[in-house]
This record gives sequence, structure tokens and C-alpha cells, in this order.
Amino acid sequence: MSVFDILLTYHIAFLQGLRVTLMLCAVIWTAGLVLGTALGVVGAHSPKSWGRFTRGASFAFSAIPTLVILFWLHYPAQAALGIVIDPFYTASLTLSLVNIFAVGEMVRQAVTDFPAQYIIAGRVCGLPTRDIVTRIQLPILFRQLLPGLLVQQVGMLHATLFASLISVEEIFRVAQRINSTVYRPIEIYTALAVFFLIVCLPVTMFAALLKKRFTRDFSER
Amino acid sequence: MLQADNIHFGYGDRKILNGVSLSVPTGGVTVLIGPSGTGKTTLLRCLALLEKPQSGTLTVDGQTYAYPLSGPMPPAPWPKLTAVFQQLFLWPHLTLCDNILMPAERRGMAGLEAELAALIDAFDMGDFIHRYPNEASLGQRQRAALARALILKPSYLLLDEITSALDVEQIAKILDYLKNLRGQSIGIFIITHLLGFARHAADQVVFMANGEVVESGTSDILRNPQTERLFQFLSVIAAAS
Repeated sequence: MSVFDILLTYHIAFLQGLRVTLMLCAVIWTAGLVLGTALGVVGAHSPKSWGRFTRGASFAFSAIPTLVILFWLHYPAQAALGIVIDPFYTASLTLSLVNIFAVGEMVRQAVTDFPAQYIIAGRVCGLPTRDIVTRIQLPILFRQLLPGLLVQQVGMLHATLFASLISVEEIFRVAQRINSTVYRPIEIYTALAVFFLIVCLPVTMFAALLKKRFTRDFSER
Repeated sequence: MLQADNIHFGYGDRKILNGVSLSVPTGGVTVLIGPSGTGKTTLLRCLALLEKPQSGTLTVDGQTYAYPLSGPMPPAPWPKLTAVFQQLFLWPHLTLCDNILMPAERRGMAGLEAELAALIDAFDMGDFIHRYPNEASLGQRQRAALARALILKPSYLLLDEITSALDVEQIAKILDYLKNLRGQSIGIFIITHLLGFARHAADQVVFMANGEVVESGTSDILRNPQTERLFQFLSVIAAAS
């Protein structure tokens, strides 16, 4: 059986796995980018309350391996509370939390470190606060944050593979199950790699497009 | 009239300005000179209402800012009062052209194309106006930063060493331009080490040392200093040049 044969034979299973993976990504990316950005902005403006919380939580979520958090939330936490939650939701929550605090800390740092002189220049030029934010701060921050945020989101896509370990029927688990049936690891995992390339390619191309369109080397010569 | 009375400013125990008083009339050029680290830039920032002095009073065309402020600060009259800093602070994501135009456009000013063309011509900016700040030399950036302030038609223009990276020809052009602004009722306050400019263009020269105004008057004080400290300062500069 060639890679093509396997893809053709099991395409429905692969597509279902891909659908679950993309649903996970949609939840994780949306939560991370929306809530993480909000948390980062609030953290930068309230450094002693939300800022400390963001820094602490970001440190905890980056120091503790994602797999440990996932397993902890899936097994002991649910056992202690006497509840059973669909593994998809557990994985979504875990990976969203990781993404929210990672994005939050990136945004908090960027906003905190934003060079005050650009704001001062806006003020003495008579720009209102709204224009300073929309015309100066946001474009500069966007260009500064874009590469890191995209790398983080691709990393979160890869992290969805952990969900297979708590029985979420995402693409990696589908590949494992097919492999246990036909035992063609080279072909199956090659097919899986191709799947990830196909999914990552638009993201990478989009990132490159945004980078080309919006990011420049600001360093003065 | 932009006026400072008995301005005190410091960080903790470190005094930067110690009872500085001066006035910047409209239609005149006030040149501030003094040794490095004497509080000239801090004074400019106070005059630009970017720093809050510990005590003293600033008055801009009748609006008084009495420090320490007893309530919320009255709105600063930017860009009627504007400044160009030594570090320029051009926005890096905009071309020099957009840096100059954006604030004026956002303020809804009319006739900007003609104004821009006149400034490009006056400051020889045609060759680099569409470059980003990091693609331009320091001298080119200095001219663009000055143009960004001028296109806003300020009543008071505060300039901090904005000719430090220009060649002699460019300095002469810009200083001539600034001299001519006197006729447009703009009050210019300029920190510079160019004593030649101070001699020929200043209506008022202020000499500062150790956070205090040591001597002020017409440009005659540069030829005939009345204090030992200014005499020493001028002697050092004369020896260095």
C-alpha cells in the first residue's frame, strides 16, 4: 500500500481527524489571541495586579509541561471533583489556557516596553489619544508582535497532538488507529506529515505575507 | 508669550533646575546655551509641558500651569506649543513624508500639499522624503523632524540641538529658515552649541549652568559677558574651535 492508497482508503477517517484538529485549533487560537491580547493589555496597564497575575500564570504554564497539565486536568482534577468531561473540552481548555497566558505575556511585555518617545512625539504634534493608539501604538506593536504570535500559534497546532493521549479523536490518534490496523508506519506517518505540511503551509504563507506586508527592520543605521 | 517663573525640578535629592525663570516671546528667537548636563533639555521638556516641575509657574498665552498642580492639569496647547527633540522621535513605521503629514492630516489642516512642497524645497528633502527613518541619515531625519513640527504651524517651537548632524550648508539653510519665521509670529526657543547662530539670529540669549540661569540678555552678552561663568564657557568654546 502506498501513501496515496492509504490516504484514499482512509480518507474519511483522516478528514474526521483533521476536522477535530482544526476545531481544536480554532478554539485555542481564538481564545489565545482574543483573551490573551486583552489580558496582556490589562496587565500592562495594571502592572501590580493583572500584570503580576499574567507574569505568574505565564511562568507557571510555560514551566509545567503542557502534557502534565493536560493529564492533571483530565484525570486527578476530574476524579477529585467527581465529574467526567469530554476529553475534547479538557484538551481545548488546557491548550487554550497555555495559549492565553503565552500570548498575554507577549502582549504585556510589548505594551510595557513600548518606547514612550513615540507617544510623546504624538502628543506634542497635537494628536488625540485615540490617534496615538490607532496610528502609532497599534501599528508598531502589531509589526513587533506578529512574528512571535504566529510562531506561537503554529506551536499550539503541534501541541494539539497531546490531545490524542486523552483519547481525543484528532488526526494523530486517527493515524495511530489506522496504523494499528494495517501496520504501515512509514506510509501512515508520512501521510500525517503531509497533512501537517498542508495545514501549516497556508498558515506559514499567511505569516510570510503579513510579515512582508507589515514588518520592516526598524533599526537605524 | 511662553513664560517660566521660578521653576524647580529634580529627581529625589538631585536638583536639575533651581529656580529657572525666562520668557519666550512670539516673533522672537531665544537661544539657550550652557555646558552639557546643566538641565537645558529638562527645561525644554518643562516648557513643552512634558514634565511636571516640583514648583514654579508656566504660562502659555495666558493659560497658567502652577506647580505643584492642585487639581487635574489643564489641557496642554499642543501643537500650538510643540517641540523637536534631540533624539527626533520619528515614527519608524511611517516614511518621512508620512511622518510629516500624518499629524497635520489628522488635525484636518488644509493646503498640506503646498506646505509640504515648500518644506521639501526649503530643506532639500526631495531625494529622501519617501524613505523610512531607518533608511535616512541623521541629518535627513533632523530635517524631517523639524518639518513635522513646522507644518503644524505652531506659535511656539522648542528645538533641542536639531542641527547637530547637519553640514555647514544645511545648518545655514535651516537657521536662515528659522530666522525668517520671526516674521510669522512664531516664538522659537532653541538649545544649541552654535554660538554663531546665537550671535546673528538670537533676540535673546540665555546662559544656564548647574540648573540656574546665570546670565541672559541680547546676543551682546556673547561678545561682552557680564559673569565669570559665561566668560569661562565662551573661552572654552573659543579654545576648542
